[in-house]
Amino acid sequence: MALRDLDLTDASVQQTAALADAVKKLFAARVPTLAVLDDECRVVGILSERDVLRAVFPGYLSEIRHSAFLTDDAAALEELAQRARDQPVSEFMRESEVLETSDSQIHAAERLMHSGDDALPVVEKERFVGMLSVAGLCHARLDRLQS
Amino acid sequence: MELVAIAIFVVALAALALDWAHRTKIALGGAAAMVLVGAIDQEQAVEAIDWPTLGLLAGMMVIVALTEPTGFFTYVALKATQISRGQPVALVLLLSLMTGVLSAFLDNLTSILLVVPITLLIADILRIPPIPLVLIQVLASNIGGTATLIGDPPNILIGSHRPELSFMDFIVNLAPVAIFTLLVASGLLALVYRSRLRPAPERAAQIAALDPARDMRSATKVKRTLAVLAGTIIAFFLHAPLHLEPAVVALVGATVMLFVAADDVEDALSRVEWSTLLFFMGLFVMVGALVEQGVIADIAENLAELTGDSSVAEGMVVLWGSALGSALVDNIPFTTAMLPVVDSIQGEEFDDGLWWALALGACFGGNATMIAAAANVAATGILERTGYRVSFLQFLVVGLPITILSLLIATAYLLLFQL
Repeated sequence: MALRDLDLTDASVQQTAALADAVKKLFAARVPTLAVLDDECRVVGILSERDVLRAVFPGYLSEIRHSAFLTDDAAALEELAQRARDQPVSEFMRESEVLETSDSQIHAAERLMHSGDDALPVVEKERFVGMLSVAGLCHARLDRLQS
Repeated sequence: MELVAIAIFVVALAALALDWAHRTKIALGGAAAMVLVGAIDQEQAVEAIDWPTLGLLAGMMVIVALTEPTGFFTYVALKATQISRGQPVALVLLLSLMTGVLSAFLDNLTSILLVVPITLLIADILRIPPIPLVLIQVLASNIGGTATLIGDPPNILIGSHRPELSFMDFIVNLAPVAIFTLLVASGLLALVYRSRLRPAPERAAQIAALDPARDMRSATKVKRTLAVLAGTIIAFFLHAPLHLEPAVVALVGATVMLFVAADDVEDALSRVEWSTLLFFMGLFVMVGALVEQGVIADIAENLAELTGDSSVAEGMVVLWGSALGSALVDNIPFTTAMLPVVDSIQGEEFDDGLWWALALGACFGGNATMIAAAANVAATGILERTGYRVSFLQFLVVGLPITILSLLIATAYLLLFQL
């Protein structure tokens, strides 16, 4: 039962794409993370919902632990969003490990437990095939049982 | 062998100054090299480690880590900003005094990690540039930390090395000059930066409208945690009459804090920065090897020849020499190496003036360059992570004049009252 037998999600974005387009894809996709690809469909990184959160809100938020007293400054937030919107995805992506289509499901489960991301890119011969999410993997296990 | 030991130490210092690898790797690598080449034997290496310093640091790390979630520090910073009512001079003075006082009682590195993120938030709301504000706080933390035994790593090293110097001795001999220097330096910086740090009136109004207490949710737990913090600080003042070492005070305080504030002990202890403690251990072993090989005695002898028998000359050499050394290689390794040097210079008769000269030189020298003190590295690190890069030169332009100014004040103080 290798990963190639699973229904992987085609959720990816080019590294030169604008952040706004990536967020649109994230919103529509069934996974919380996109694979970031180069021209030849190789995975150069990932972009998760959390990466986008950090891009669209002030950088210092990740350094503070208390913020209940803060109120929204509409103008400042809009300025920040304006600035982030057209920047290329490569500015915000992170390096990521990849899974192979020949990997076992149990190996994928272990990597998902330890990587800190809820979805990882799956590749075959260095080319992107699809994203494997926690929900995708678990759904496949439980679905088999029902059928 | 003496030359081999010197070579290992110099390479390690250069590696630290040039940031070739993580500082803990460098210190442990240097210590391992000293033991492997036989510059110090294994038993002596273990004896060279100053356990009270490590205990004091570890204890304070736990205490501060468990106090931080109360939101108390955020509350204080926001209150200070509100009191300034958007007046840049008042804002700079209040934020730097707050940082200075926190540094004196929590240590400057921890204080910087606590206040810089809040300062970024305040600068964002006020729409003023954050870099000058953060740099002023870094300078204030190094000056404020000079005031107490626990305020700055060089003082922790000195206080643990010479148990005859109590917490009160540090306060009596260093706090007045530290407070005076802090006021002069912050006043000067406030005047220099006042036009750049002036917020629009509506931004100041926005800060005034915030409710800083909103994040301090569980009032009883907050009170209990702050009571333990206050109790620990009071115990520091009383450690000499109580016949307790500062390290014991910190570790007992940390233990009480674990009972009062830690829901998860594993999580609380994970906040101890083991890499920092191992960095200190590596330095102690390296310096222990230099002592064993007679290097330190040679340096002390040369210094003694240079200064003759004059305690004034000795004090001045220690003050300005430690400042220069700290500026170039970081005041923690430099002070560690200076401890046995000052032991030798003073000879049989204990002379506290030389130790105050070392404390003032190393702590104030910590302001000269970006790498001179751990707090500087931490602050510029946070700035960089949040999108504000500070260059070496940019730091030097602010740090060096303030360092020279504070060393002149320290010189006058030592000449008038200590030497």
